[in-house]
Amino acid sequence: MRTIFFIIALTFATIGFSQNRAVKSGEKFVYAASYNMSGLMTQIAQVTMETETVKTAKNTLLHLSCEAATYSKWDSFFKIRDVYEAYVNPNTLRPSLYKRDILEGKYTKKEKYIFKNEGRTIESTMTKKNMAPTKKTFNVGDSTADAVSTIYQLRNVDFSKFKVGQTKTFTVIFDEKEMTASAKYMGRETISAGNLGKKECYKISIAAKTQALKGNDKNIIWLTADAAKVPAKISFSIPVGTGQLTLTNASGL
Amino acid sequence: MRKVLIVLAFIFAVFGIVFAILPMGTIGVLPAGLSLLFALIAFIKSPVGHKNVPKWLLIISALILVVIIGRSFVPDEVVEDTEFEQKKIESKQEDLKELEELEGLE
Repeated sequence: MRTIFFIIALTFATIGFSQNRAVKSGEKFVYAASYNMSGLMTQIAQVTMETETVKTAKNTLLHLSCEAATYSKWDSFFKIRDVYEAYVNPNTLRPSLYKRDILEGKYTKKEKYIFKNEGRTIESTMTKKNMAPTKKTFNVGDSTADAVSTIYQLRNVDFSKFKVGQTKTFTVIFDEKEMTASAKYMGRETISAGNLGKKECYKISIAAKTQALKGNDKNIIWLTADAAKVPAKISFSIPVGTGQLTLTNASGL
Repeated sequence: MRKVLIVLAFIFAVFGIVFAILPMGTIGVLPAGLSLLFALIAFIKSPVGHKNVPKWLLIISALILVVIIGRSFVPDEVVEDTEFEQKKIESKQEDLKELEELEGLE
C-alpha cells in the first residue's frame, strides 16, 4: 500500500509552491483500490482523500489527509489502516507538518516531518514496530514537498496550456529521501468519474528514478479538465503487479 | 478418460472452494467453471449406473459457482473501526500542539 501511495504522491506532485486555486476545504474523494489478480481486477481497499480547515493560536491551516483501509472481507487476511496527512498553508500549500502512520498486516511504521526554516530544514522522527524512535534533521531544496502536500499541488498546474508530451519535473521527499520525478502530459480522455459522471480528463504519465515504478507510461493519472482537477482515476504498475484507483464519490467541491 | 475428467473436476472444485472462502472476488469463477465443465463431460461419458460421482461433482461445482457469483453482488464495505477513529482524534490533538509549538519558535 505504501508503494501505491508513493505512486499517487509522485503522480500529483509539481514544482514550487504556486498559488492554490483548486484545493478547497471540505473536499472528500473516495476511491476503490483494485489489484490485478490473474487478469481480473479485485477490489481490496478504500482510499479517502479529505481536506479540512484547522485553526491554531496564530494561523489557519489546511489539513490534508489520505487514508487507505481494506474492505472488511480482507481485514482477517491482511488488514491495512494507513494514514498520510499534512498541515499546509491554505494559500500556497507549503507544508508545516507531515505525518504517516501505517498498519499493514503486522507491519507498522510512523513517520513525522516538521518543516522548519521556511521548509528548507526537516526534523524527522521515524518509529518502527518494537524499535525506539529515530530522529534526524536534514536540509532539502526550496521546492521539495512531502508526499501528501505534493499530491494536492498538482491540481494547481494549468494543464490546459500544456502540449502533448510536455513534461514537468518535481522533487518529493519520501522515506527521508529526496527524489526527482516527472509528469508528462499525454492529452485528454473522457472517463467515468464516479458520481461526477463521464468527465473529460487530463491524462498524465508519471516517471521517477525509483524501484517503485515499472514500465513506460504505465503509471497514469486522469485529472478532470475543469477548475477543481479532481483525480478521477489512477493506474499503476509496480514490480509485483498492476492496479488502479477509481473515483467512486466526490463531495465538497 | 472418464477417471481423468473426474480427477480434474475434483481438483478444480477444491480450488474453487478455496477461492470462494478467500476474498478473491470473481477469480474463483475460473476453477469452479472448469470443475463444472469437467464434471459435466464426465457425467455424459459415464455409463448408466456409474454417474453418481460426476453427479455430485456437478452439484458441488454448481454450488461453488452460485456462492462466488452471489458474493460478487455484496457491496464492498470498510468496517467502522472505533479504535482507528479514536487514534485519529488523539493524533490530531497532538498535531495541533506540535503546530503551536512550531509557531512559538517562529
